[in-house]
Amino acid sequence: MTAPLLSIRDLHTSFYTESGVARAVDGVSFDIGAGETLGIVGESGCGKSVTALSILRLIQPPGRIETGSVIEFEGKNLVTLDDADIRDIRGNRISMIFQEPMSALNPVFMVGDQVAEVARVHAGMGRRDAWERAVEMLELTGMPDAEARARQYPHQLSGGMRQRVLIAMALMMKPALVIADEPTTALDVTIQAQILDLLLDLQKKIGTSILMITHDLGVIAETASRVIVMYAGEVVEQAEVDELFAKPHHPYTEGLMHSMPHIGHDQERLNVIPGTVPAPTEWPTGCRFRERCPYSWDLCEREHPPLYQIGSGHISRCHLAIEPERRNNPHPPLVVEAGAAAA
Amino acid sequence: MLRYIAQRLVQAAVIVAIVATITFALIHLAPGDPFSAVMDNPDVSETVRQTMRAQYGFDRPLPEQFVRYVSSLAHGQLGWSFSHERPVREVLGSALPNTLLLMGVALLGSFAFGILIALIQVSRRGSVTDHVLSALSLFFFSMPDFWLAILAFLTFTYWLPIFPSGGAVDPVMHEYLGLGGRIVDRLRHLALPALTLILLASAVVARYQRAALLDVLPADYIRTARLKGLTEPEILRRHALRNALLPIITLVGLSFPALLTGTFFVEKIFAWPGMGYAVVLAIGTRDYPLVVGGVIIGSILVTLGSLLSDVLYALADPRLRR
Amino acid sequence: MPWQTQDFAASAPTPVRESPLALAVRRILRKPSSRVAFFVLGVIVLVGLLAPLLAPYNPSAQPDIVRLKDLPPSLAHPFGTDQYSRDVLSRVIYGARLSLMIGVLATIVSLTLGVAYGAIAGYAGGILDAVMMRVLDAFLSIPRLLLLIGALVAWPRLSIGALVVFLGLTGWFGLSRIVRGQVLALKHAEFVTAAQALGASRRRILWRHLLPNIVSPIVVAATLGVAHVIVLEAGLSYLGIGVQPPLASWGNIINDGADQPAALWWMSLFPGLFMVLTVMTLNILGEALRDAYERR
Repeated sequence: MTAPLLSIRDLHTSFYTESGVARAVDGVSFDIGAGETLGIVGESGCGKSVTALSILRLIQPPGRIETGSVIEFEGKNLVTLDDADIRDIRGNRISMIFQEPMSALNPVFMVGDQVAEVARVHAGMGRRDAWERAVEMLELTGMPDAEARARQYPHQLSGGMRQRVLIAMALMMKPALVIADEPTTALDVTIQAQILDLLLDLQKKIGTSILMITHDLGVIAETASRVIVMYAGEVVEQAEVDELFAKPHHPYTEGLMHSMPHIGHDQERLNVIPGTVPAPTEWPTGCRFRERCPYSWDLCEREHPPLYQIGSGHISRCHLAIEPERRNNPHPPLVVEAGAAAA
Repeated sequence: MLRYIAQRLVQAAVIVAIVATITFALIHLAPGDPFSAVMDNPDVSETVRQTMRAQYGFDRPLPEQFVRYVSSLAHGQLGWSFSHERPVREVLGSALPNTLLLMGVALLGSFAFGILIALIQVSRRGSVTDHVLSALSLFFFSMPDFWLAILAFLTFTYWLPIFPSGGAVDPVMHEYLGLGGRIVDRLRHLALPALTLILLASAVVARYQRAALLDVLPADYIRTARLKGLTEPEILRRHALRNALLPIITLVGLSFPALLTGTFFVEKIFAWPGMGYAVVLAIGTRDYPLVVGGVIIGSILVTLGSLLSDVLYALADPRLRR
Repeated sequence: MPWQTQDFAASAPTPVRESPLALAVRRILRKPSSRVAFFVLGVIVLVGLLAPLLAPYNPSAQPDIVRLKDLPPSLAHPFGTDQYSRDVLSRVIYGARLSLMIGVLATIVSLTLGVAYGAIAGYAGGILDAVMMRVLDAFLSIPRLLLLIGALVAWPRLSIGALVVFLGLTGWFGLSRIVRGQVLALKHAEFVTAAQALGASRRRILWRHLLPNIVSPIVVAATLGVAHVIVLEAGLSYLGIGVQPPLASWGNIINDGADQPAALWWMSLFPGLFMVLTVMTLNILGEALRDAYERR
């Protein structure tokens, strides 16, 4: 196996707030290979966005990446790099795309200038050269009439076009890794498909890896080759995408799959995972999913489950790995459902 | 854009018309006759009395007086100043450029200085420098303008005599100086009044600008800038400031009333021959037409200032430009 | 923050309802700067209230115009004496009393006018509202000092009461805008229609819902307003058209010393210091109040 492009080992990111220390990311490890698309799926609050921000050291006080965390990339540990070096990497070797294209663009500058800025910062290009490269990049993202659009301001563009601008910005320096944090959530469904196709297309052309972060299983199915499921600040399952959909192991993953509505499938009520995510200031002892899980037993309360190997390339943080027969005896969840839907 | 300017000009005209009404009301609600000093004065010429009668129409019914008043205002007639024995228009007309000079310098200086202070404060947020500067701007913000002017006057013309004690030019020497000397002379006389105003006004600007910058910093596009690998100073100067300057443009218009008031006091204390100085002297001599003239011109200045700042804002914010 | 879920609300305890005013005051007193400001302001107010007890001499007494005039600060006269041999410290103390009183009374006038004007304009709507707002703009375009000068020169020898009224008549503009905004927002609020459907009269609804929403801007406007009036009155007194001697106000003490500012420096320095202190504390408190309300 070739060396991974990015290797995260034992990442802990915490927020020191008035109500306590929130361990948003609590011991996460995974690798991303060159040219692959890794998906991270989980509901709001599971720590996936914080993980992404930690990679580029964008955590601001009161948040902090704890010592001992290692994020290895191109032979360096990103966590301990000094400021100038991490700035060299941002936008250059690793870039990021966000969910809200409108607010992510500065309203008082032309979009072309904002894309060109990347080249001026990292490649030292002059205004004209950087502008030309920016227009080229915008054309590559399928922006109609790129030259004219580049002279416009963000409020003059539609949501889909703004996202293309951000994608162009992210790919200007042909980075090794692009982190996409819910890139299509704020867009119309029809535009979503276009943007996803664009990302995959550009990936093939430029050869970058993509870290796709989303809560939408549909997006995962379409784009990722490998998937990580996060819950309560931890990785709870990791598998190749087909395997994950066909044979989910962790009860949380199972619950996610079951809660997806299917077209053509008659349902009176949507399936829902009962209960709510615990507060990150007080992760429960033992398994964090325990109270919402239909299979839990006393071991789950006593021992925090490690990541068990389930199959080739498939791991799961669930004690069912050692007592799989308990899956046949589901019980009502331990949380009292107040009638409110979870997640 | 042109349509917007035209609209604002019409609004400004309406406002000035209402101001004229207000001053008319002031004149006629006052007890006694503010013009008796002029009308009953044997030294005042007949032509002047006729002009005054035509302008104010003393014995006519009130509505007619109002019409006369407004129409003479529209013709630029502001009445007769008996303490100067010249038309108000002349007195204020020759004084106005000096006031505009002082206000202009103060405006530019205070905004430049205030923005600089705010940038320093935000880039060193939470540090001792930040707190000290905040305390200082609160201090100068709370200070009555005339008091600072008095202190500045005492300090720099008496105790540490660096600057001349008043006027716009040296009353004796100015004529004999060469061009360079004259410029220096004017600058020396301008310096202290201008610096006093700048100190007072930049406290306001610094506070607003600091708040505006702090408002802008959590925005998503600042995070995008960070993602591109820009340094914090670059982010502050290039991305944050450009957005945080927009509300400051509004401040330009809003600061005209306070700046004008401050200028009045500063002119009095430094004997700077501007409109404020003339009006303050007129208070002492109860030269009422001059005072009213000052009120009208002052409010025109403020209205124009607000117009200016609205137009600048529309130019600066691309979201409004269409 | 990206990791926070909406579910936190379900698990958090429901907060106890507290009146906005009490909440704001509590928040303010948490900040050390506000506590200091409150304390200092309290001392100044006390000095004003207890002036007859605290002032060492009668502020208008002119005991010895020949030998006791123009004395610099000394143990007998900590703030010196003026050209009529009056003790400046006593005058400054009485000046606190007068300036604060004028400030408070004038602000009460302004607040009343501002609320009334804004409420009427907002409630009436239509042409009346438009006209009222234009008139407001016109008043706003005249710098307050100028407007006061214009009015006061026409009315020489004013009583303190009249001065208070004039000051109050010129300070209500900003608040009326805010009140009008609140009334407009309420007029179009959905719950008004809902309440009407339940039978409540429009006037009753507006009154019940308007008041809580304007308490905060009123309190902020009051605090900052008093500060403005103090400075304004001082300025007018300095120009000779405010408080007339022998009554003492901070402004006219400075005016008394204005002919020889260097020789009689104590007459400029001390009243000014008190003014700055008072205005600073009022500004600190006013802004802390504003921040506390906005953070809701």
